Amino acid sequence: MYNLISVLFKYVFIIIIYLFIFSIIRLIYLDIKSISPVTLEGNAYLKLINRRDSIPYKIKEHYSIDGELTLGRRSDNDVYLNDPFISKKHLKIVEDEEEYYLEDLDSANGTFINTERVEDVVKLSNGDIIKLGSIEFLFVDRG
Amino acid sequence: MFNKSISTKTPRNLLLLFEILSLVLLLVNQWDNIDKTIYYIWIALILIIYISNFILNRITSGDNYIFLIVSMLMSIGIIMIYRIDSELGFKQLLWFIIGIIAFYFTYFMLKYIRGWKNWGKLYIVLSYILFLITFLLGTRKYGAINWITIGGHSFQPAEITKLLLIFILAFYYSNMDMFKDRKYSDYILMGLVYSFIGLLFLQRDLGTAVIFLGIYMVIQFIHEEKRMNILYNIGLFAVGGTLGYVLFDHVKVRVQTWINPWIYIDNKGYQITQSLFAIAEGGFFGTGIGLGNPEFIPLAYTDFIFSAICEEMGIFIGIGIIMLFMILVYRGFKIALNQNDKFFRILAIGVSTLFGIQSIIIIGGVIKVLPLTGITLPFVSYGGSSILSSFIALGILQISSEDMSYKEEEYCETRK
Repeated sequence: MYNLISVLFKYVFIIIIYLFIFSIIRLIYLDIKSISPVTLEGNAYLKLINRRDSIPYKIKEHYSIDGELTLGRRSDNDVYLNDPFISKKHLKIVEDEEEYYLEDLDSANGTFINTERVEDVVKLSNGDIIKLGSIEFLFVDRG
Repeated sequence: MFNKSISTKTPRNLLLLFEILSLVLLLVNQWDNIDKTIYYIWIALILIIYISNFILNRITSGDNYIFLIVSMLMSIGIIMIYRIDSELGFKQLLWFIIGIIAFYFTYFMLKYIRGWKNWGKLYIVLSYILFLITFLLGTRKYGAINWITIGGHSFQPAEITKLLLIFILAFYYSNMDMFKDRKYSDYILMGLVYSFIGLLFLQRDLGTAVIFLGIYMVIQFIHEEKRMNILYNIGLFAVGGTLGYVLFDHVKVRVQTWINPWIYIDNKGYQITQSLFAIAEGGFFGTGIGLGNPEFIPLAYTDFIFSAICEEMGIFIGIGIIMLFMILVYRGFKIALNQNDKFFRILAIGVSTLFGIQSIIIIGGVIKVLPLTGITLPFVSYGGSSILSSFIALGILQISSEDMSYKEEEYCETRK
């Protein structure tokens, strides 16, 4: 009895382990496919905190802020994300004398910086977490 | 081409399926007299692994594949160890639970305590203390004096020194600006590493000596600015290796049994020939768990676990293990590439090199591709200190996969 099951299981084990390996390789492949060479101009950038493979639409790992950056659902924004919780024109980040300011453009679901809702314009500092919908970005200022 | 059906859940569930099936196999095997404790601990471990993989998705912004890969490796290992010796398998289960705790401990220690990159002297002193303890209290086990016994528990200090070496190298190369002004600092570092290797040589722990040298060479190759030093290092290694072969008998024996073990089959070459017989016996699909004879291989539960797995589970699983290690090392290098903080980048390279070299040396050793040296296969072999240090190393890799740059700047600002 045991011998029979053991012989059967050895094939099952091989199949499971190979499925496991290939599913991981596939996930890694998905991860690599969406890497674009990181060319970060300027000092500040947004870094995606969410795991990219958990998001069902196109999104990059890094967005560099070059003077001005607009974010929204419509494709004429610098960063456009096809997310139902993001408004057509959601927010704007503006650089002024090496300081960065985030402005919420009256979005429906709001923008949060470190769990605090942005009412008008807020100055960003290094390490701030910007949250919109279920997406979280880290603001990094190397300047 | 790739639909949405594949998600991070798929490998997690496959792992769970694998573990449950192995439990079923054990249940069928022990149908007449069931030992309940082993099931409780096995189920506890399965839960810990599953929950850990789940939690890690939440708490870390970094990599979430490495823990999965390691969970698979240790599940394969524990099945084999329990089949060879149920008492050791039982202990190994407990070690895994301790190891996972150590993993989280390391993760949070490195995350919330700042200033790891400034404590170089501490790492050096600690390494020498560990060597000293080994020489004073060490006992000879399987030809090498690398075990100390405290209160009935054997322990291998070199497993911890391995990690300290990575910290020392990361300390040196991430503080390059500080050392540039001092003359001969690169030669002092080289002397330091070679003193470690020499001490390991005296302990006859050749495998670990090679790991030390490998880690040093890889990190030096990547970060050393004076490229001539790499040549000096290779030259020293060549001279030292040849001298070691001529002067020490135990090195000579390893090479002789590697070139032709068949003429020493009844003494020196016994281990390696038995290992080859076992792998050949298994074939592509293996004999089936519990149906082979891995007990003929000496030390089948530690150094020769790979041959035992090949015999009972087949070469395919053996190839699978090699592939798992390859993905693990690949992830390690990718983590290093993405890390902006130099100290953590070097730590990540060091740890992935450690996993890579260690598995190459021992797998190569048991299949007679390289001379055999007695070290463990990380996460698979039986051994408390080995499991502990491997999980600490994994914790280091996990923390290195997170974005540390903004935290470090914060730290610098508060110090100003």
